[in-house]
Amino acid sequence: MNIADLRHYSIEEYKKAYRSKEFTPTAVTRVFFDRIRELEGDIHAFLAIDEEGAMKRARELEEKKISDTDFPPLYGIPIAVKDNICVKGLQATCGSRILRNFVAPYDATVVEKLKKAGVIILGKTNMDEFAMGSSTENSGYGPTRNPLDRERVPGGSSGGSAACVAALEAPLSLGSDTGGSVRQPAAFCGIVGLRPTYGRVSRYGLVSFASSLDQIGPLTRTVDDCITLFEVISGQDERDSTCAPYPPFSRNDIPKDEEIPKIRIGIPNEYFTPGVDPAISGRIREVIDLLVNKGFPVINVSLPHTDFGLESYYIVALAEASSNLARYDGVLYGFRKEGSFTLQEMYTRTRTEGFGKEVLRRIVLGTYSLSSGYYDEYYLKGMKVRTLVRKDFEASFQNCDLLLTPVTPCLPFRFGERSRDPYQMYLADVFTIPSAMAGIPGISLNCGYQDHLPIGLQILSAPFAEGKLLGFARYLEKLLSIPLPFPEKMPRKESL
Amino acid sequence: MEKCYLTIGLEVHCQLLTKAKMFCRCGTDYIGKEPNSLVCPVCMGLPGSLPVMNRKAMELAIRTAMTLHCEILPRVIFHRKNYFYPDLPKGYQISQFDFPIGINGTLEFMGQGEKKKVRIKRVHVEEDAGKLVHEGLNIPSECSGVDFNRCGIPLVEIVTEPDLHSPEDARDYLTMLRSIVRYIGVSDGNMEEGSLRCDANISLSLTEKTMGVKVEVKNMNSFRSVYHALEFELSRQQKCLAEGKKLFPETRHWDETRGVTVSSRGKEEAQDYRYFPDPDLLPHTIEQVILNDIQSNLPELPLEKKERFMFDYELTETEANVLVQDCSLANFFESCIKELNKPKFIANWVITEVLKNLNDLRQDIQHSKITPAALMDLLKMVDRKEISGTIAKSVLEDMFQSGAKAKDVIAKKGISFMSNEKELEKIVHQIIEQNPQSIADYLSGKEKALHFLIGQVMKVTRGQASPEIVKNILNKELSAERSLCGPREPF
Amino acid sequence: MSEKISLDEIKKMAQLSKLSFSQEELEQFFVDINSVVSHFDKLNQLDLSDVSPTSHISWSQPPSNPDEPREWPGRQEVFAHAPQVIDSYFIVPKVVDKQEE
Repeated sequence: MNIADLRHYSIEEYKKAYRSKEFTPTAVTRVFFDRIRELEGDIHAFLAIDEEGAMKRARELEEKKISDTDFPPLYGIPIAVKDNICVKGLQATCGSRILRNFVAPYDATVVEKLKKAGVIILGKTNMDEFAMGSSTENSGYGPTRNPLDRERVPGGSSGGSAACVAALEAPLSLGSDTGGSVRQPAAFCGIVGLRPTYGRVSRYGLVSFASSLDQIGPLTRTVDDCITLFEVISGQDERDSTCAPYPPFSRNDIPKDEEIPKIRIGIPNEYFTPGVDPAISGRIREVIDLLVNKGFPVINVSLPHTDFGLESYYIVALAEASSNLARYDGVLYGFRKEGSFTLQEMYTRTRTEGFGKEVLRRIVLGTYSLSSGYYDEYYLKGMKVRTLVRKDFEASFQNCDLLLTPVTPCLPFRFGERSRDPYQMYLADVFTIPSAMAGIPGISLNCGYQDHLPIGLQILSAPFAEGKLLGFARYLEKLLSIPLPFPEKMPRKESL
Repeated sequence: MEKCYLTIGLEVHCQLLTKAKMFCRCGTDYIGKEPNSLVCPVCMGLPGSLPVMNRKAMELAIRTAMTLHCEILPRVIFHRKNYFYPDLPKGYQISQFDFPIGINGTLEFMGQGEKKKVRIKRVHVEEDAGKLVHEGLNIPSECSGVDFNRCGIPLVEIVTEPDLHSPEDARDYLTMLRSIVRYIGVSDGNMEEGSLRCDANISLSLTEKTMGVKVEVKNMNSFRSVYHALEFELSRQQKCLAEGKKLFPETRHWDETRGVTVSSRGKEEAQDYRYFPDPDLLPHTIEQVILNDIQSNLPELPLEKKERFMFDYELTETEANVLVQDCSLANFFESCIKELNKPKFIANWVITEVLKNLNDLRQDIQHSKITPAALMDLLKMVDRKEISGTIAKSVLEDMFQSGAKAKDVIAKKGISFMSNEKELEKIVHQIIEQNPQSIADYLSGKEKALHFLIGQVMKVTRGQASPEIVKNILNKELSAERSLCGPREPF
Repeated sequence: MSEKISLDEIKKMAQLSKLSFSQEELEQFFVDINSVVSHFDKLNQLDLSDVSPTSHISWSQPPSNPDEPREWPGRQEVFAHAPQVIDSYFIVPKVVDKQEE
């Protein structure tokens, strides 16, 4: 077989190959760097590539004596990490010029866990600056292209993480989701993206955009890989006050096969409005019909405050962001505007030059909603509406186990199409935001194509019910058997 | 001029005595450390780092609030206070806002002999900032250096209602507050080292019912400077009012060397701290067991202790006041009493001699070389009249300096246990009998003869007797002789 | 378009967040920001008087630290990438006065 086919393997297949000594981690890692060299000029999914470190790590893993039965869960698996997650010794620019020379002096908790589990880190992926955006056009280092259509955006803010997996430059990656930044790019690139329950994965080492919303999540080609990666990165962390003191997710939490058809599916009316691209709502209706035919209990539910989610999200997220981004002042790390200035000049020139336009806009907006005289009018109101959005979900999960919705109202759009009007861009996250506000988990699954553009299906569950969520997603993935995206439209590996 | 009504409110910050910082695990022992050696991603605000509350800091803050009779709020909620300053690496300080640890407390203190009560508005916790240096070995003159060793040390802020009415009151309140934070072990309350800091709000009004214009005074680094700054501010404002000038709200800095307060120009017209709940720190529910535990371990406070000392040990108010001001001194005193149940006698020694020595050495009792047992070894000798008070004083001084035991100092000083006066008396009698001529000389006015006699006693005791005691005994004996010989001519 | 936030307010917000814009940039921000803020008014349709705010998503008592110090070994790497360090101090332009704004 062609060694390049290695790129299509699942985690279990890699591990099988390693156990049988069919391939080595170095061989697999090299294959991905070959692919990166081949496509990066075009896709630009990565901001930093650590070939030397990765190859060294692969060799070290090979030299370690590991018994056949005691394989670490991600032994020898290459992974790409979003550039807002700290990997010791690698840059962490968050897609911002203000952090262009920042090298993380410590590992994020998730990275510690990944390293312990045996991964090989390929590099850091492109993103909208400080995760603020839905297209990766806001990166301070140039946009990432959608591997399925190079004229279109890969989504954002984890656009690099989604694109590299879809382009087979990495078998899996980590992204972060504040209002949809894992699920929306996963949908745009036709892969799987999970936003865990808020507090299920440690945020320590994830550079904050909006602390009460940010969550790290896996981007993978299959639900099964997502399950394995999620098992590794989840669990409590004494270094993160917002991380829930519960045990990590385990695949044992997934219901047995015979339990799956009993899962009650809710369809929220508010997610099927005329504003949704008919190709998307139509395809999701087909999936729902299929489930009804399969005997699933499917009910209609209402989440009446959905329509207010977007506004309250932007108020809350930007307020937090305006404060979270205050630390980029040129004193201790990152970019400092050089020259003989006063302290005040150093601050303003460093910050005004260091941040991109969208970030500047959001800082001003966030500052506004916290400022005296406007706190009650904006920030407080945003937090109150958040309560209503949360309660909507709580009520709906009294009657059903999972909710099925589109991930986005639109298909992947062209570059520049939405970047002129910030509000139009914000609308791309309208269906992923409410669940983020409620802190509940959601997964984005490819459920079909409109021409060559993928359509994302979102499944939401009650907090900490990722077992049901992933079990159902895996079932649906098998049921739908949607071909994985592949830029060269090469046949899937089964037929090789 | 007309009568003025003065109102003062104080905001006191105390560094809490934790081993680790407020939101990270760095150590707090920063004094004298190399700059930026007690730092980590959290207290330097590195991207991606997150704060986690030190539960000991929370407990110490609750202990402070409870001692001040505050209502303890059921949850610990932190807010961010947003402003830019190079000693603040995150661009905000983690503090508390509308939900502090404790509210509505009181503190009683002795103000010029009178028991007074101040209402405590709030007690809250927050993190300390780093330190700026403006001149260092190699730091260019147009630059400042930042050291984050102090950054993130837990502080408790204690805010009074405007219940103080004179600079003396303010000083006395502060003295009592310091005494209390030391008593309950939450802070070492050292103003000179900056572990206790005080800002004052002062307002002067012509009528009793209305409040004057609020002026904030900062940068007072000692108890003395709080008193002097407030006195200065009082007379400055009085003068303004007398001249019919208008006072306006402002922040003024105390300039210690010039002895004046200086207006900080234009208190940032645009300052707006944009407090909001810190989304990185989940609210922490205070469990009842923790409250009960802290409550049951609250120590006796200075005023209670004073009253007990007056009652149990029959000390005067002044004596008791001196002893209870420093908890360790009070404990020292009580340990001494266990060795010898003569409180009055011991109190007298502690108040005069022990404090004098501590003062001379600029030490406090905890860091001195004297233990209660060591002091009592000495005082028991005094009590048994084995040595005189005068000797004991000089022995004590030596003990404070060297840390030696009383017995060893006495031996070293050549004051053997023969300074036991009874034994010495015998020897003195013997010498008197053997030297009738010298006695006659002395009685006829020759002072030198006395020195000869002392010398003789010293010879017999091989230098082990205390010349002073010998002299005393000789004087006593000789004056007895003199009275036998009848009145003597003056010389 | 209705003007919710004035040009002066945008200037003030910029000052508070240590940003400075040219007149042209300010005017562009004025348009963009007002377009976003105008959507925020939608929330006024809701009666929020009895609704408590959600500031955190909290599922249980959060972790807290024991009072046990431990050293962090990475400070040299921070020095190595800092804009300016002299004698272990981070160097900034002279800080004149705490109240300087």
